[in-house]
Amino acid sequence: MTLAIETEALGKRYGDVQAVEGLSLQVAPGEIYAFLGLNGAGKTTTIRMLLGMVKPDSGLARVLQAPVRLGRREPWASVGYLVEVPHAYPELTVRDNLEVARRLHPGTPRREVDQTIERLRLTEYADRPAGTLSQGNAQRLGLAKALLHRPRLLILDEPANGLDPAGIVEIRQLLLDLTRQEGATVFMASHILAEVARLAQRIGIIHQGRLLQELDLPALERNRRRRLVLRTRDLQAARRSLEAAGHPAAVLDDGVLEVRSQAVIERPEEVSRLLVQAGAPATHLVVEEEDLEQYFLRLIGVSGGAA
Amino acid sequence: MNALADMLWVELRKALRSRVPPVAGLMSLFMPLGIGLLVFAARNPEISRQVGLISAKANLLAYSATDWPAYLRLAAMMSGAGGFGVFVFAITWTFGREFVDGTLKDLLAVPVSRAAILLAKFAVVGLWSLVLSLILLLATLVMGALIRLPGGSPAAILQGSGLLLLTSFLAMAVVTPFAFVASVGRGYLLPIGVALLALIAANLLALAGWGEYFPWAVPGLVAQGTELTPVSYVIVALTALAGMLATYAWWMRADQNR
Repeated sequence: MTLAIETEALGKRYGDVQAVEGLSLQVAPGEIYAFLGLNGAGKTTTIRMLLGMVKPDSGLARVLQAPVRLGRREPWASVGYLVEVPHAYPELTVRDNLEVARRLHPGTPRREVDQTIERLRLTEYADRPAGTLSQGNAQRLGLAKALLHRPRLLILDEPANGLDPAGIVEIRQLLLDLTRQEGATVFMASHILAEVARLAQRIGIIHQGRLLQELDLPALERNRRRRLVLRTRDLQAARRSLEAAGHPAAVLDDGVLEVRSQAVIERPEEVSRLLVQAGAPATHLVVEEEDLEQYFLRLIGVSGGAA
Repeated sequence: MNALADMLWVELRKALRSRVPPVAGLMSLFMPLGIGLLVFAARNPEISRQVGLISAKANLLAYSATDWPAYLRLAAMMSGAGGFGVFVFAITWTFGREFVDGTLKDLLAVPVSRAAILLAKFAVVGLWSLVLSLILLLATLVMGALIRLPGGSPAAILQGSGLLLLTSFLAMAVVTPFAFVASVGRGYLLPIGVALLALIAANLLALAGWGEYFPWAVPGLVAQGTELTPVSYVIVALTALAGMLATYAWWMRADQNR
């Protein structure tokens, strides 16, 4: 399979800080790959290495099959990107900024400027200086510059930054359309996990410069922890009856009983029956699945992850 | 070639839409205006006394600029230093702004060579500096006519104007290293500091008699009418070339992590 992005043991050190270490990842064409990590995890350094802005100390990156080297022209005709805060020439209008971007991508038809302005809903602001835009519209202009030349690969650093909730939904749909209808590949770094969970087909989790895990949605489904949480008027009686039936249970601080046994999670009605028999019927009974955020926090070992 | 034309369009657009070129234009106007006023005040002590003009300074200048050739020489000397300052301002802005405005990253992963991008920047700075030099010359001539200097034969004015333009060209040539300094310093402060140092060093070295080998001293020496060997001009040309090459090397090799 020809990969859209491939890195082999990519590493970068700034002084005493190992920003990225031994990073090997693969992004298939047509997929939305989310690169998850806390601030300072190495996401932006990785993106800058992918874009040939920063030279890796070790390893190799290939983007659209071309080895990435500083100062080269390949393969950027087919790549659109947004790195960190979207900046634009403040005294130029939105349209002029896009015209500059168009000329930086020779062969892009003139009509794309207006089409992209419409696509990103910037029509109202087209003739305003970029320096006067709100953060959300500056983000839209940044995305517009990335999309203008209809690239096959989009490398986006926090694409939802600064957008309002409606804007986030809109950009999500736009990125989904790009991959589904135009076959584009999206590599996006993000720390907004809810967004990633809705959008990405594959997720790479980076922590302290290292890729901890790469997983697709079915794998995430399998790896997620599930638990059964219940409330009852007599927690201790309920716990004893569950344990007698071979299902260890724990009373948590917030007055709920938690059962992690897989057999129980698959058959909650059995628990309900046991509790009724024990004279401590459940007032609340629910199977909870760890969400991506809890999974992520558990993986990187930060407190706040699901118990 | 098309890419270069596109990049020229881009750089011109950026310059023309900014407030910086008009400010630089005004700076070039002030120099001849100032010189003209001082010479006028020196030549008309009664009027300057009446309006309370700074006569001590004016008198100092008056001895050197009593006719057209001397006035134009004074203007050329001022353009050696002042023009240099304005050209440094132009080149520092053109290169440094990409760092200050955070727009550099949009120029890096693109299918246009960095050579084309940089060449366009240098070309626009050159064009801009040329326009500033012409503004400076024109304003100097108008000012000279207004204060009615004697000795204004066409040959003398032509020769003086040539000297002023030559000084400007030399000053233009020695500013290319400041594109490199602005890139390394990622902004405006470092190049402005280094330019001040270069001017101070130029004055000290000229006093010590080594000015002809120091590229930033050469324009001033030419303006003063010092006889220079071709070596000085070669040094200036090499400095211009080295500034461009260093800028290119830096843009090709350095990590851009901002």
